[in-house]
Order: sequence, then C-alpha cells, then structure tokens
Amino acid sequence: MKTRIPILKLNDVLIVSIQWELDDQTAIQFQEDLLTKMHETSALGVVIDLTPIDFIDSFIAKVLGDVINMTGLMGAKVVITGIQPAVAITLIELGIRMENVMTALDLENGLDKLYKELEA
Amino acid sequence: MNKLMVDSINQNMDEIIECWIAQMKEEKGERFFHFMPEHLVEKTSREFAELMTSNIMETTAIDSDKLNDFTEKIVRFGWSIKFVNKAIDNFSFVVFGLLEKKGIMNDSNLRQFVETITRWISPLRESIIDAYSAEWERTVSLQKIALQELSASLIPVFDKISVMPLVGTIDTERAKLIMENLLEGVVSQRAEVVLLDITGVPVVDTMVAHHIIQAADAVRLVGAKCMLVGIRPEIAQTIVALGINLHDFTTKSTLQKGMQAALAMTNREIVEVDGE
Amino acid sequence: MSYRSSVEIYTEWDIVAARQLGRNEAKKTGFGTVDQARITTAISELARNIYLYAGKGKIEIERISENGAFGIKIIASDEGPGISDLRKVMEDGYSTSGGLGAGMPGVKRLMDEFKVVSEPGVGTTITAKKWLH
Repeated sequence: MKTRIPILKLNDVLIVSIQWELDDQTAIQFQEDLLTKMHETSALGVVIDLTPIDFIDSFIAKVLGDVINMTGLMGAKVVITGIQPAVAITLIELGIRMENVMTALDLENGLDKLYKELEA
Repeated sequence: MNKLMVDSINQNMDEIIECWIAQMKEEKGERFFHFMPEHLVEKTSREFAELMTSNIMETTAIDSDKLNDFTEKIVRFGWSIKFVNKAIDNFSFVVFGLLEKKGIMNDSNLRQFVETITRWISPLRESIIDAYSAEWERTVSLQKIALQELSASLIPVFDKISVMPLVGTIDTERAKLIMENLLEGVVSQRAEVVLLDITGVPVVDTMVAHHIIQAADAVRLVGAKCMLVGIRPEIAQTIVALGINLHDFTTKSTLQKGMQAALAMTNREIVEVDGE
Repeated sequence: MSYRSSVEIYTEWDIVAARQLGRNEAKKTGFGTVDQARITTAISELARNIYLYAGKGKIEIERISENGAFGIKIIASDEGPGISDLRKVMEDGYSTSGGLGAGMPGVKRLMDEFKVVSEPGVGTTITAKKWLH
C-alpha cells in the first residue's frame, strides 16, 4: 500500500494539503515528489497545509524541516499552514522549534503571506 | 449505670449546653460565640450537642449525614481544627462536672466512668476531625478549580489582535493551561498578533520566562505573532540579571505601546478625528 | 481493573499501528486533544526507537488508576543492544540515527512519569505514564 500526497500547481505556487496521518514511507515519498515537481514547474513558493493532522513526531518534523531547507536551496519559499494547537504544543515540548519556518493560520493567510514575501 | 448516665445527660441537656457555651466564650481568640447572633450560637451549639450525644448509646452509631452537615457548617463559620478539638474537650468536661454534681459519679466509680466516657468520646473525636479535614480538602480543591477558571482567557480586541492578561504566579500546571487557552484562542479568533500582558505577574524567574518563550514559540507555529507587554522596570532587571534571552521576541513596556505596535504589524493605526 | 493491549514492532507500519492504538486508548480514557497528541507522539517516538535500534520489540498500553487518579501507561520493551550511556541519551540534541535527537528527553517532557531500565546486550524497557488531571 503506497499513498501519495497530491501536489497542486496554482500559477507560481505549489499547494499541498496533507489530509491524513503521515507514515514514514509516505513522508519520504512526498519529499521526493515535491522536489521533482519544483524542478519541473520552477515554482517560486510552496504552501503546505497541515490542518487535518493531529500529531507530528520528531521524524515527520525532520522530514518537513528537510523539505523546507531543500526547497530553499532550490530558490523557493515555503509557508506551513494550519498547525493545530495540540500539534504546536507537542512539538515545542519535544524540543522542536522549527525556527526558520514561515507559518500562517490557514491556507488563505498562508497564500497572502507567501505572495507578500515573493513581492518583497 | 450507663443508662443512668445517658438519662441524666439527656435530662440536663439545656444545662450542659449553657455551661458549654459559657466555657467556649472564655477560649482565647474566639470570635464565633461573641459576635454571632444569639440564636445562631444557640442553634449551632444544640446541633453540636446532638452530634456529641448521637452515639452515646452503644447501640447507636454516629449519624454520618448529620456529621457531614455539621462539619460543613463549622468550616464555613471558620472554626479552626484546634477550636473544634477544644469544643469536644470542653463538652466532656461539662459532662464530667454534671455527673459529679448529680452524685452519679463518685470516687468509687470514677475509673469506670472515665473509661465509658473515653470510649464514647474518642471515636466521636476521630470522626469529627476526619469529616473536618475531608471538608477542608474539598474546599481547597474547589478553590483550586476556581483559580484555574480565572487563569487566563484570550480576549479579542481588534480584528486580528487579541490580548491575554496574565495575573498571579505562574507554575508549570498553570503554564500548560495558559498555553492551551492561548493557542486555542489564536486559532478560533483568527488572531495574527497576540499580546501577553505580564503586568500582573509578580515574579518572572527563569522558569516563568521559559514558559513564556515556549508559549511564544507555539504561537508562531500555529501562524501568529506573540508580543510580550507590561514589562515593569524590576522585571526587566531580573530578566537581564538572570541572563534570560528574550531577543527573539517583540517586547513593550505597556499594553498601550504593544497595541500600537500590533496595529502597525497588521498595517493599521489609530488616528484622531477632529470634532466639529 | 486495567486493560492492556499491545502491538509488536517489526516494521515501520507497526509504528503507525502502535500510535493509533495509543490515540484510541487516550481518547477512551478521557484525555483532551492536547494530551491525546502528547501521548500519540510519545508512543511514536518510543516505537520508532525500537524499530531503529532494536529491530523488534513491543509497545504495551494500559489504562491505569492509582489513588483515585486515572491515566495511561506505556511500556516500550525490546531485547536490543540496550543503551550504554543513559545520560547521553537523555540530553537534548543527542542522536545516533541522524534524526532531530528530540526522542527521549522529548518523551519525558510529554509525559508525567518516565523511567528507563536498560542493560547493554540484554535490552531496554521504558515505562511512561500520563495522568488525567
């Protein structure tokens, strides 16, 4: 069983909505898919929405952090949106601060933030 | 003989109560018997006497409902546990005095009476003190809940701007609650900037600062900004003296300045309007 | 009375199964969403440690009550290489797997009680509890 996370393109931006709990394989597959898609489309920004996700452990946090760094290397900006309060609290307690990550409350705010960042 | 004792106690209840009240009034630092209205003192004393004599017959047990009602009442009246203990002591003194006066107790049967009365009073004392401490614990836990309820709420002030005033000492338990309220509030109010006002926090030590930093980090993860306001001079001094690093966060001395900064962050400002 | 259920950890998929079980048990015990996330995350970290370092092992989850308090207990046990330097493992940022190194001290912070018993060459048992407040 292999699930793939769909990656949508909207103008210069890639939109990813993670709808179900990530297992390790799916997370790694996602990393690869996103980078490939970035290369193919030369997108300038990515929004990853995590609204339905109710927990993130250190492994998934690492994969996400890596994705953000790699995307940065390829010259694009990433905004993470919809991190739930419970998820934020557990991440902080785990000691994962995700310091250099742009965040927004939801997809709408996230796109606003990204466009502003791209204009600047 | 026990029957004789019980009868004479029951027959002379009014006298016992009167003597007991007189003795209680002489206790040092006692307020209840002096300041409460006469009828209330009378009623409470009668209840106490009833409770004291409820197990006087060996066949009858202490009425637990009556016991709980009474202890709840005296905890509310503010009787200390020491005072309750004294009340029990005085009651048995009065009973001794009465039995002696009536000639029921004399030198020959003194030993027996001491034993009978001890067997009557001791379990009573245990039960009353037990009920008292249970009532006290209940009161404390209710107060704890009340304290938690007043803990911290996030107040929406303007569109995209909310404020959480923190009042009182912050311990780990409260810090967790504050963090949860803060984050749930940010998401439900769709706040982009939250101001944490610590004007009412008496001491900011390393631990409190750590909790505040964690809360601010978590706020950033859900997609908003956290600003610390209400930093009094002495708090600023301790923060620097303790070597706490708050550089990553926006801080302002007052809520007012913080609010201006928050408006600026969301591209707004307050303008005065000329009156006609 | 206590209910104990367990998941054997052999593959990566078992990590998912273990945390799903943990989430359900936490929900049934009456934990709120934040504590559910804490418990689920702690189980995920513990199960991953078993998978990465011991190869196989077991996650047991039990609903417990003590002195009128209710809670959940997680026991992670394996017969792997054991932990040679416990103190180092409990340091923030220490990792031998290339992960974030948040695992063990993180789990300790997420839960109310945390105990490690480990013997090199014999195995490791980690017990963690979370109480309903």
